Amino acid sequence: MRKTWAIVRRELIAYFSSPLAYVVLAAFLLMQGYIFYLLVSFLNNPQTQAMTPLRLFFGGTIFFWLFLLFVVPVITMRLIAEERRSGTIEVLLTSPVTEAQVVVGKFAAAMLFYIALWLPTVLYVLVLMRHSEIDLGPVLAGYVGVLLLGFLFLAVGTFASTLTDNQLIAAIIAFAVMVALFSIGLVEQLIMSSGLKAVLGHMNLWTQMDDFAKGIVDTRHVVYQLSVGILFLFLAAKSLEVKKWR
Amino acid sequence: MIEVENLGKTYVKEPVVRDLSFFVPEGQVLGFLGPNGAGKTTVMRMLTAFLPPTTGRVVVAGVDLDEDPVALRRNVGYLPENVPLYPEMRVDEYLRFRADIEEVPRAEVRDRMDDVAERCMIGDVRRQVIGTLSKGFRQRVGLAGALIHQPPVLILDEPTVGLDPNQIIRVRELITELGRDHTVLLSTHILPEVEQVCERVFIIDRGRIVADGAPDALRTQLIGNPALVVELKGADGVATEALLGLPGVVAVSEREPGHFVVEHAPDADPREAVFGLAVERGWVLMALIPHRASLEDVFVRLTTREETLAEELAEEVSHA
Repeated sequence: MRKTWAIVRRELIAYFSSPLAYVVLAAFLLMQGYIFYLLVSFLNNPQTQAMTPLRLFFGGTIFFWLFLLFVVPVITMRLIAEERRSGTIEVLLTSPVTEAQVVVGKFAAAMLFYIALWLPTVLYVLVLMRHSEIDLGPVLAGYVGVLLLGFLFLAVGTFASTLTDNQLIAAIIAFAVMVALFSIGLVEQLIMSSGLKAVLGHMNLWTQMDDFAKGIVDTRHVVYQLSVGILFLFLAAKSLEVKKWR
Repeated sequence: MIEVENLGKTYVKEPVVRDLSFFVPEGQVLGFLGPNGAGKTTVMRMLTAFLPPTTGRVVVAGVDLDEDPVALRRNVGYLPENVPLYPEMRVDEYLRFRADIEEVPRAEVRDRMDDVAERCMIGDVRRQVIGTLSKGFRQRVGLAGALIHQPPVLILDEPTVGLDPNQIIRVRELITELGRDHTVLLSTHILPEVEQVCERVFIIDRGRIVADGAPDALRTQLIGNPALVVELKGADGVATEALLGLPGVVAVSEREPGHFVVEHAPDADPREAVFGLAVERGWVLMALIPHRASLEDVFVRLTTREETLAEELAEEVSHA
């Protein structure tokens, strides 16, 4: 535990000593703030149908997904690829640390950074609370959804980062796998066979996120996202073990 | 302390390390010498449980690599080639990180950090960001990191590469000092380094040990007889023969007119006799220089790409 925590701490130092972290944070907040503003003004128009802004905010628009798909690879690309490029992986893996501890530590640091990214959006909720009634249930469920999606996607990114010593390639692989996971839900509508359609329907991340935003915490969604995430973390540790490269 | 039996590593059918066996007793400072690509780094990576060997057995400080690689790592302090560090961390942050992952007991972390910082002479830069340090300091920070958990065995891959001469001297002094209470295995392709620092040398070529011994012993064993370089003015055609007639002289060759290399038995010193001969014949003695084969010569002879010689010697070593 102490060793894993040491890796988490080191990774956080690395995040916050690089300009990238601040650029990502600033860009993320800028975009989220703008989208939030757009949503609120859109919903202020009496002609639009009744919907809550936070439901749209959490996965109800394509913007949410665009952010996630772009930002997560940027967060995870460095994790192990950079260790491999600089050779520090050799120091790490010749100390009494297991591959699993390395992966978990790195991933946990990415998760903490991701949480830090979302933390300021709590302000939006507080702003809305001042002006109207807010049902906190769906808001909390929305954040649960954001965390779970983050868990899944960051795990994918961590895995991608073990595959290469080039950060850019790691980011592209992560992006491709995430898009594939995401578009399973979009493919669903094109499938005729009802059995397959049902299976794919359960894997539709968009509708899963929409359920969370509506306040429905469906355990099937929770189990799906957690288990796929853990699968990718497992693959990351295995890939690190197998890649006893020169 | 380090036991290696029939160690081998093959990458994509290409053997990089072949059937290596050796034993390093506690407290020895051992040098791995070899041209680039000889397999030094690969051997070190296997001894530190970074790379799994294809064949063979490795035991370091009583721990078998196959049985418990993580325990083996606890006994080894490793400084990889080119000293990889995290440039964004401060020196103290890095040392603390290393102490944590190397399982230094919490209560001792402070003391250990102070101790290695003092030993490696990095006390003045402990608050500094690693990326801003000079190469010499980075090398010492890397070394400090490898020492933090007081490992009985230190493995250093080319610890002086890229340093300026002053820094090289300081790092060598440090290694010599560490050799007093550690078993040290270092690799280098700088020969004087080995002669100064190491008690024992392995010369490695294409994945096998072609020579093993003390630097001095290797010199005499492999280069053969000591020799004198003799330069004579006025010497005629009979000089070669006359020199050969002197007691203790084994062979004479004339490199260019007037320049002779006189090989003699290790226990003989024919310098006086050469001088006497020159006086007697009325030749002018221009130079009389004992020629000591350097380890450089041994190295070049052993590792120039002549398969037969290397193989012969490998055979000899394995029989010995």
